[in-house]
Amino acid sequence: MPEKMEGALTGYRVLDLADIKGTYCTKMIADMGAEVIKIENPDGDPTRNIPPFAGDIPHSEKSLYFLYRNANKQGITLNLETSDGRTIFKKLIEGADVLVETYSPGYMKSIGLDYEVLKEINPELIMASITDFGQTGPYKDWKGSDIVAYCMSGAMISSGYPEGSPCRLPGTPAYDSAAMSAAISITLSLFHRGTTGKGQYIDVSVHENARMGLYPWLLPMYSYNVNPGSPPPGPEGRLGTALYPIYPCKDGKVRVVALTPRQWDALVKILGEPEVLMLPEWREFYYRIGNADAIYAIIIGFTMEYTMVELLEAGHREGVPIVPIYDIKGFVDSPHTKAREFFTEIDHPVAGKYQTPCPPYKWTETSCQINEPAPCLGQHNENIYCDELGYSKDDLSALRRAGVI
Amino acid sequence: MTNYPLDGIRVVNFGTGVVIPDFGKILGEFGADVIKIESGENLDFMRTIGSDINNSPGFNESNRNKRSFGVDLNTDKGKELVRDLIKTADIVGENFRGGVVKNLGFGYERVRELKPDIIYISSQGFGAGGPYSDFKAYGPMLAAASGVLSLWAHPDDEYPAGASFPHPDHIASKQAVFAVLAALDYRRRTGKGQFIDMSQIEAAASLIGEAYLDYSINQHVQQPQGNRSPYAAPHGCYRCKGTDQWCAISVFTSKQWISFCNALEKPEWIEDPKFADTVSRLKHIDELEKHIEEWTQQHEPEVVMQTLQAVGVPAGIAQRAVDTIADPQLKWSNATVEVDHPVAGKRLYPNLPWKMSDMEFCESTPPPLLGEHTEEICREILNLSDDEIEQLKQEKIMEIPLLEEGEE
Repeated sequence: MPEKMEGALTGYRVLDLADIKGTYCTKMIADMGAEVIKIENPDGDPTRNIPPFAGDIPHSEKSLYFLYRNANKQGITLNLETSDGRTIFKKLIEGADVLVETYSPGYMKSIGLDYEVLKEINPELIMASITDFGQTGPYKDWKGSDIVAYCMSGAMISSGYPEGSPCRLPGTPAYDSAAMSAAISITLSLFHRGTTGKGQYIDVSVHENARMGLYPWLLPMYSYNVNPGSPPPGPEGRLGTALYPIYPCKDGKVRVVALTPRQWDALVKILGEPEVLMLPEWREFYYRIGNADAIYAIIIGFTMEYTMVELLEAGHREGVPIVPIYDIKGFVDSPHTKAREFFTEIDHPVAGKYQTPCPPYKWTETSCQINEPAPCLGQHNENIYCDELGYSKDDLSALRRAGVI
Repeated sequence: MTNYPLDGIRVVNFGTGVVIPDFGKILGEFGADVIKIESGENLDFMRTIGSDINNSPGFNESNRNKRSFGVDLNTDKGKELVRDLIKTADIVGENFRGGVVKNLGFGYERVRELKPDIIYISSQGFGAGGPYSDFKAYGPMLAAASGVLSLWAHPDDEYPAGASFPHPDHIASKQAVFAVLAALDYRRRTGKGQFIDMSQIEAAASLIGEAYLDYSINQHVQQPQGNRSPYAAPHGCYRCKGTDQWCAISVFTSKQWISFCNALEKPEWIEDPKFADTVSRLKHIDELEKHIEEWTQQHEPEVVMQTLQAVGVPAGIAQRAVDTIADPQLKWSNATVEVDHPVAGKRLYPNLPWKMSDMEFCESTPPPLLGEHTEEICREILNLSDDEIEQLKQEKIMEIPLLEEGEE
């Protein structure tokens, strides 16, 4: 077997105490080759219970959310609520570069494992805390969730149809945008540490990061007073379908984005230059937005003549961006997805073989791939506790019986 | 002396639209010298969405913390100036339409000859190396082509909904920042630069990876669930008193459920077998949500949020920009920064949203006027004389800001 090419972050060790808020952060770092050790309570990380499951039957090794977001990581169990557990954790901190945790503000301090304590053990440690509302401030003890942060960020009031109830972006986008900020600030700290030798404590609030992560334009658009008094289009209207209209076609739906007059002309050409679309005022973007319903009713009659791929290719040829609205299968089957080899096969001891998405990059010098499946609960206990920290197998049994691991 | 984490790092930014401009904005905040290559002939299209090329809110947000080097890339001399600039750079970022930068002579292979350890990130909508690699695509189209949009609707909607904002643009820009920082640290340790090709459609897809696993393992093509969750109930965004006012509520645990029922003064729900646990509540979700909206519609969203948060139930208003300015937590955290701009005036932008114990970031600088820093870059970095600069101006190779009367 050829030796695995190293990743850009190979050589760093990351301790991962993250739940759903931070699991994407440590995934990003693991995919770059860092050694990420996921530390779970002996009864398992709560994200193991997130449906759906492989085979559709709940099983702690088969949550698709867990499997996807924990590939490339190692897994150990450790109960930080026990004194022995904390002693072991401190030993792990000695050899770690990064710690990511997502407990409520104050919890790590309450068990004696806050940054002030840990940096005494390892002054170069970079510790990132991801919480719903941040470590300090009036909302710090509030309860959050992905949908709550999505709502408060300004993204929700802009999502969905104008007349209907707002509709969130699928997945856990607010948590993931905070996770990305954490991954950025951790990597920046590693780079900085390379010249200064300094560790770092990083406080990431999902509430605050969702705004910059998803819709940073909301605030400036309001502040610039884009539409004094009236539409179209206000930054907070739910105008997705007016700005970026969706049309049915022969075998599905397409989305068309004509922003400039030239792109509009190209669209009209593709649709056979019907007279009804040739009115000069239609060339004006904001006029079309203001008359979105009327233009929609006209265009829909023409798009039905073509297939998704015909429109995609004609759009490219004539100079107006048109794309198919793929469902999950459509994206997997797309020739572009296949050509880029975005999916790779993973073999998991319990869930079996499956295709998993790779990171969204190709690198020339370093590896950025999915190499290992998500760890089973406690899978790497022996590797870490015996091979590295010097515990015997008997010690492990005793620790297990005592509920420490 | 202040020590910013990317002091001494220079970024040449061939950015347009959102992804690479926003990427440069963030690196600039870290102290990098980010130089945007642009010209009046070949405008970043975001400059054209607004009342004037220096006064577009989207452009100005995504292009803070940069200098603008205005240069005509269709001339040999213009290309030579940019080549000289790249020789002093650490990072090149580009997201022009596939193939355009390469045709201009600034593809990775050429750039690497100028600067062997360059870190070069290239990001097209679909990504390189496939049949659609040179297709023009804006963010909202990538949400459509990645499968994300097919899930972005309420279950009974005929069409996907989407949003006014260009997802996944702002997600992809953060993925690019992360990648380049990792590459920079790798270069610090090994001396090696590299080329990174980032696909924005894959950036979108990578946030819903579990849906692709569901297809690969279970052969399920997931369908939209709106605001509902398979493991929390209630979980939604509920209509409140007022015009277009909403509040999110999510209940994950039985403890939260009991608190929720008591807060709504519906203790009888706690005993009701229809609502006994998450699975039962999901089974009767339509009925439950109807009851919830009967309550939420009697109250302003602020009251709904405060009432529920007071008893430990996750709840949050669907905030508008003005609400995020007044939001006490965001205020406390200095989440908003005012930046003065010669044309746009004093405007508000989101601040860098995290805090670090031992690192300082730059104060945000205003987005540049087109060509604002051309002369200073010629002088400081390219060591050109006044005469040479004058000649470049005469030959219209250089772009310098032309403000309309009354603008300062």
